[in-house]
Amino acid sequence: MHIMEGFLPVKHAIGWSIAAAPFVTYGLYSINKKIKESPEQRMLLGVAAAFTFVLSALKMPSVTGSSSHPTGTGLGAMLFGPAAMAPIGMVVLMFQAILLAHGGLTTLGANIFSMAVVGPFAAAATYRVAKAVRLPFALSVFIAASLADLLTYITTSAQLALAFPDPTGGFVGSLAKFASVFAITQIPIAIIEGLLTVMVFNALARFNPVELRNMKVLTAQESQA
Amino acid sequence: MLTEQSAYSNRWRHVSPVAKGCFSLCGIIAAFAAGSPCTALLIASILASVTVFGAGVPITRYMRVAAPALIFLLASGLSLFLSFSLGASISTISPHIAFSELRGITHTCCRSLTCLTALLFLALTTPLSDIISLLRLCRLPETLLDLMTLCYRTLFVLSEAVHETMTAQTARLGYASFSISLRSLGGLFANLIVQVWQRSLALHLAAQARGNDGSLRFLRNNYNHSCRNISIAATTGCLMIALTIILP
Repeated sequence: MHIMEGFLPVKHAIGWSIAAAPFVTYGLYSINKKIKESPEQRMLLGVAAAFTFVLSALKMPSVTGSSSHPTGTGLGAMLFGPAAMAPIGMVVLMFQAILLAHGGLTTLGANIFSMAVVGPFAAAATYRVAKAVRLPFALSVFIAASLADLLTYITTSAQLALAFPDPTGGFVGSLAKFASVFAITQIPIAIIEGLLTVMVFNALARFNPVELRNMKVLTAQESQA
Repeated sequence: MLTEQSAYSNRWRHVSPVAKGCFSLCGIIAAFAAGSPCTALLIASILASVTVFGAGVPITRYMRVAAPALIFLLASGLSLFLSFSLGASISTISPHIAFSELRGITHTCCRSLTCLTALLFLALTTPLSDIISLLRLCRLPETLLDLMTLCYRTLFVLSEAVHETMTAQTARLGYASFSISLRSLGGLFANLIVQVWQRSLALHLAAQARGNDGSLRFLRNNYNHSCRNISIAATTGCLMIALTIILP
């Protein structure tokens, strides 16, 4: 769910860019650190950005009959870490704006904040909490991926509500409006993306447990289970 | 991809990306400086005309690229028109149309449309590799530029892999029902992640074999009449901004 090019007032566009900048900077710092430790990470993260772009261009099956696409924020955060997802997300969002006219350059900061900061950090935190309370692996992945999607859409709704408060209901009225309008499509998408992410991790755990262990997604014990 | 086809085949393919980036940036500034929807629409029509008649982008291709964004803009505009009156409890929320906000919403939509035409001007006339070199000139961090370069160079390879896998899955009725579709798509993504690991390792080995020890460097393109084109783009861009200041 992207905010369109030029849709936000200039103050909001600059404000969200400033808000997203520290996360992108920290993400770049963490990527540089990773590359110093293992240089092959440079190629891996570059190809991962292409993977996220391709993922977002795919159509997901939808129960309502309409088509939708996965965001990949939850999947990416669990595989590559939430910090790395901010620069990766920035690249993907920039490519989507230029190659697909989806999103925009002036709204890049706002879109980075919702899709590449809030979503991945929510997914990573939820996954950790779920593992800490010993929830089953599949349920942990499902909750993390679905919540990442839901929080992304709630953040976008809040960004739009801040920019366009309702003349009678104010910010709360506007948030309720955008959240309810987008809920029709976004709640089924979040559930489907959660299920899809579980399928992906099940397939990976079955056929590529070594890679998942190397990326610290699974422990040796979990991958043998 | 339609934008890529156009970016490599338009009349201004070999014009300096600095000139095109400068003109596009002026278009975005003009969109935000426009005081009324009419002025914003005038700027949008100038930018679209320059793309279609100046750069020679076929109008049908332009419309096909712009259509999804225009539909999205229409939906976004309509959602702004809807307003909620909040009562004492959640059950007393009543929706109505915000006619009083008509001018403001029209202005927002027209500004968005103008920004879209400025973005399309850049996207349809400049290949992404040129935009990356333009960002290199703007001193963006090397790591970010490396990510962009690698992403651009592998996304078409991955797209091809996705297309081939989906064809194979469809031939085996892999998308016959909702549950089977979900399982097929899960398998496709998992397969793609493995390809990401394998391809990145192969790229790393190839780069090491060529003595790569840091960021990825490419030869810079030389553009004819670069200074002249940049001056023309900056002048016409500034005129466009001036027009928005003069007009109401």
